[in-house]
Amino acid sequence: MSTAMNFGTKSFKPRPPDKGAFPLDHFGECSAFKERFMECLRQSGYESGACRQRAMAYLECRMERQVGVRPRPGGGGGVQLMANEPLEKLGFKDLIDEKSEAKPEK
Amino acid sequence: VVPGETALAFYKAKNPTDKPIIGISTYNVIPFEAGQYFNKIQCFCFEEQRLNPQEEVDMPVFFYIDPEFAEDPKMAKVDLITLSYTFFEAKEGQKLALPGYQ
Repeated sequence: MSTAMNFGTKSFKPRPPDKGAFPLDHFGECSAFKERFMECLRQSGYESGACRQRAMAYLECRMERQVGVRPRPGGGGGVQLMANEPLEKLGFKDLIDEKSEAKPEK
Repeated sequence: VVPGETALAFYKAKNPTDKPIIGISTYNVIPFEAGQYFNKIQCFCFEEQRLNPQEEVDMPVFFYIDPEFAEDPKMAKVDLITLSYTFFEAKEGQKLALPGYQ
């Protein structure tokens, strides 16, 4: 996006995402999760931290359904939506620990 | 958003035409100096995305702000970081400058 006419100014260098592209949810299979997350954001005054549980639920939905996964053009296998990435590694470790602690003893 | 904490954001795109469109997007971060702290884990950018006629779709970005942001004195006054995306229509043979990607 930088046209090199401004030799003195710094140009912004985009970096690719760590885990690649997020395929689109064309059929809205996880839209309900997204709506619940957005509702939480609105209610909390857009406090991202307050809505991490619902963000995690959305990502879980996408990962379970592998929604929108399509083969990469030219081959090379399917686009994996963080398929083998456990949620703990995506910054949700504390929420997962809470979940397992909350499991009732049988 | 707290530095170091992963966060999810949604954009929405609509193709108002009656033809499918294939687009590629790139992003920008303002203020410029905050861009180095902005880490995308996963987003829809840099990949061709197809939108069918009249299709409206949610476009998620999963990211975090590097915790070192909080240590940088130059960032002390920055309390708003704006992430914006620009969509280009993909033309055959067109490639955006993708730094080391693919």
